[in-house]
Amino acid sequence: MAEPILAGVAESELGETPDRNWLDNAAIATVRALEDAGCSLADVDGVAVAGGNDYMPALVLSEYLDLDEPSFLEGTEIGGSSFEHFCGHVRDAMTRGEADVVVVAYGSTGKTGPGRDRSLEETHPVDGFVRPTGLFRPPGAYAMAARRHMHEYGTTEEQLAEVAVSTREWASMNPKAAQQDPITVDDVLESRQIAEPFNLLDCCLVSDGGGAVVLVSEEKARELGVPEIAVAGVASTSTHRQDISEMPDMTTTGAAVTGPNAFAQAGITHDDVDVAEIYDSFTYTALVTLEDLGFCEKGAGGEFVSGGTTAPGGELPMNTQGGGLSYCHPGHFGIFVLIEAARQLRGDYEGDRQVDDAEVAVAHGTGGLLSSSSTVVLRREA
Amino acid sequence: MSAPVEDRRESWDGPVPVPTGATVPFWEGTLEGDLRYQECDCGNRQLYPRAVCTDCGAEDPPFEESEGVGTIYTYTVCHVPGEPGFADRTPYIVGAIELAEGPRLLALLDADPDVLEIGASVAVTFWRLSDEAAMPVFVPE
Ligand SMILES: [Zn+2]
Repeated sequence: MAEPILAGVAESELGETPDRNWLDNAAIATVRALEDAGCSLADVDGVAVAGGNDYMPALVLSEYLDLDEPSFLEGTEIGGSSFEHFCGHVRDAMTRGEADVVVVAYGSTGKTGPGRDRSLEETHPVDGFVRPTGLFRPPGAYAMAARRHMHEYGTTEEQLAEVAVSTREWASMNPKAAQQDPITVDDVLESRQIAEPFNLLDCCLVSDGGGAVVLVSEEKARELGVPEIAVAGVASTSTHRQDISEMPDMTTTGAAVTGPNAFAQAGITHDDVDVAEIYDSFTYTALVTLEDLGFCEKGAGGEFVSGGTTAPGGELPMNTQGGGLSYCHPGHFGIFVLIEAARQLRGDYEGDRQVDDAEVAVAHGTGGLLSSSSTVVLRREA
Repeated sequence: MSAPVEDRRESWDGPVPVPTGATVPFWEGTLEGDLRYQECDCGNRQLYPRAVCTDCGAEDPPFEESEGVGTIYTYTVCHVPGEPGFADRTPYIVGAIELAEGPRLLALLDADPDVLEIGASVAVTFWRLSDEAAMPVFVPE
C-alpha cells in the first residue's frame, strides 16, 4: 500500500478574521500549504474538506479555487477528526493511482461568524430530548464524561488542570498562540465555572481560522524534494453522536480502537512515539485519549499528565503548539494536529520548542461530543 | 406509573420538543405522566425512540411504560446557559439517568447540587412545556 507523504502544511490567519468567510480561510490555508510543499494549484488533483458552513464543501472549495477537474473528492463530516480520517481515504486513492496531490483543508469563522439559530423542526428528533435540558454543548457533554471518569477512577480536577498548564507552557513558545502567559493549576481551578467540573481554562478557545495539509504520492514527493513525512497508519471509528448519554461508556473513547489499529499498521509501539498531537477540545479530551491510545493504563491518565510528562522536556511532548486550549480552536481542531505533527517531524523549530530528533508522531482527532476518533501515525523517512 | 405533570407552559422560554414520527408515542405519554421506552420483541430496549430496533432491525418496536425510576450515571452543573431561556436558571443540573429498565436518558435534575452523587436513586416527574409535550425531569428519591 502506498504511503502518502505529508508535503506541505499551513494555517490562514488565526484568531479573528471578520473580513473572511470559512471558504476564504480554507482557500488561503490551501494556497499557503501548496507553497510550503513547493507546488501550486495547477498540481492539485484531489480535495478533501470538512467543516465550514456548506454541506458540499469539497465542491465549493474546488469551484472557489477553480480546480481543473479534480479526480478525488472527499467531504465526509465526522467533526474534528475528519482530517485524520481523510488521510486513509487519500492513501487508498493514491494506491489506486487516482490522485497525486491532494489538499486537505478546513476553514471557519467560529468566533466572528454568524451563530446558528435553528428550530427543533429542522433538526434531528433526538434534539427534542437534548435541547430542552439546556445542556451547553459541547462543554457540558464532555464535563459529564469527565465527571464519570472522576467517579470511576478518582481522577481529580487538579489532574485535569495539569493538561491546561502543560499545553500553555508549549503555547508560551508559539508566537501564533492566542494565549501565551503561563498558568498554574490554581489559575485553572479559580477560572470561571462553565459546566462542572470544567472551569474556563479546561475549555478550548473559540477562534476563526483555517488550516490545510498537502498529501502527495511518493513519486511526487521525490519530484518536489520535500522531507518525507509518511502517513504510516490511519484508523477511525465512532461511538455515538448527538446525545452524550448515548455514549456506551463515557470513560472509554473510540481511541481505544483506532489507536491500536493505527499503531499496528505503522508497526510501532508507544516507545517509538516522539511527539503526540492529541485533540484537546477540553482537558478531559486529551487525558482520556492518552489512556485509550495506551500511553498509560486505563484510569491512570490523571497520574500520567501530572508532573510535566507532556510539558516541554517531558517524556511525551504533547500539543507542542499549545493545543486547542491555548493556540487556536476554530471548531474542527483536527487539521491543526496534523500541521504541528508534520512541523515537529521536519524539525522546523529551534530550542525547547523543537522535540529532539522527532521521527514518529501521533496525531489524534476527536469529533462531535467525544463521538468520533481518528488516529494517524506519521513517520519521517530516513 | 403516572408521575406528576406540572404545567410550565406559561413560564417556559426554552426549546420545546416537536413530536414527529417515532417519537410521537413517547411525547403523548409524557402528557399523562408516563415515561415510555421501546421494547422490541427481540428483547432490546431503547431510547430515544426510533423507527427501527437497533438490535434486530425490526420496524417500529412497541413502547412499554417505565417505572420512572433510575440512577444518576453522571451529571454536570451548568453555569453557562446552553439554550435560549436558560440564562435565569443557572446554575442548573443536567444528568444522564440510567433507567431501571436499562435505557439511558439525558434530563434535567431538579436537586441540590451540593448533595448530588453519581449512583443516587432518582424518580421522574414532568414539566409540561407545550400542548404536545412534557419534559421528563428527575428528582432525588
Ligand atoms: Zn429487535
